[in-house]
Amino acid sequence: MEAKFLEQFTELLERETPVTLEDVFREYDNWDSLAYLSVISFVDEEYGIVIPREEFGKMKTIKDIITFIAANS
Amino acid sequence: MENPFSLAGKNIIVTGASSGIGRQTAVSCSQMGARVVLIARNTEQLNMTLSMMQSPESHLVYSLDLADLDGMETVIKDIVGKTGKLHGLVNAAGISTTLPLKLISNEKLEEFFKTNVYSAIQMSRLFTKQVNVSTEGGSVIFFSSVMGIVGESGKTLYSLTKGALVSATKSLALEFASKKIRFNAVSPGVVVTPMSQNAVYSKDEESLNRIIALHPLGLGMPVDISNACVYLLSDASRWVTGSNLVIDGGYTAR
Repeated sequence: MEAKFLEQFTELLERETPVTLEDVFREYDNWDSLAYLSVISFVDEEYGIVIPREEFGKMKTIKDIITFIAANS
Repeated sequence: MENPFSLAGKNIIVTGASSGIGRQTAVSCSQMGARVVLIARNTEQLNMTLSMMQSPESHLVYSLDLADLDGMETVIKDIVGKTGKLHGLVNAAGISTTLPLKLISNEKLEEFFKTNVYSAIQMSRLFTKQVNVSTEGGSVIFFSSVMGIVGESGKTLYSLTKGALVSATKSLALEFASKKIRFNAVSPGVVVTPMSQNAVYSKDEESLNRIIALHPLGLGMPVDISNACVYLLSDASRWVTGSNLVIDGGYTAR
């Protein structure tokens, strides 16, 4: 799942270099409310999981998102 | 005085009658005296709706996927054979989502247009056939949304399909006016239903509070919309066609 997820996230967040597990996504220069909406919608579409805003607020790295999905799927 | 909103003696089809506004519309129509034909995929949920209706024994239930055009034709023929000609069609079946543009694929577009637009248009085509519709005329209702009039970030897919229905309403109203078949749309704001409760914005308090604040009268209930459907199906609205009745607690008043 991880490799595919990283690839999809690179595309989703329009990163020029591939995203990595350790990336702190809020530090991306193009991180904004639309990026947030994209992530929430993507995870909902792809995995059927809605990440509550409060939970998302605690996440820092891409790995945190993956861990949440794995724990809730 | 005779109740101008009475639906006594009318045969009315409601799609999407297994849940939410469709379910409540079926219930309200039965309370106003109509014979209702319930259509949706989920038989169990349809029977649940039936149990909530007035005189359940007088209504019909059909489990049908509205993407199945052949199935639809067979079902309509069967309905008319049992009830006689039809007076009303409520196209309440529909889906919603929040999806930014970058996630909108052609597959997603097709899924949304098939469910929200194609099925309503095809049901209308069958309903308006001379062999199916009452010689006195009929009333067709499309379920649009405030998202068919105004926008919201991430609601493009939903807006596209709901706007299409408002546009279709007007041309169809003109095409069928001579046959006294009226076409109208209803455009609800956010109504408390399983569909809205499953939406992304309902899953966290901050988003939900923002949505509630956008409705000066608060969120709607299914009966707020089904009452409007009763009006549009009844003879009280005999001079109303091609309109879009906005029922949104003030959402679009700003």
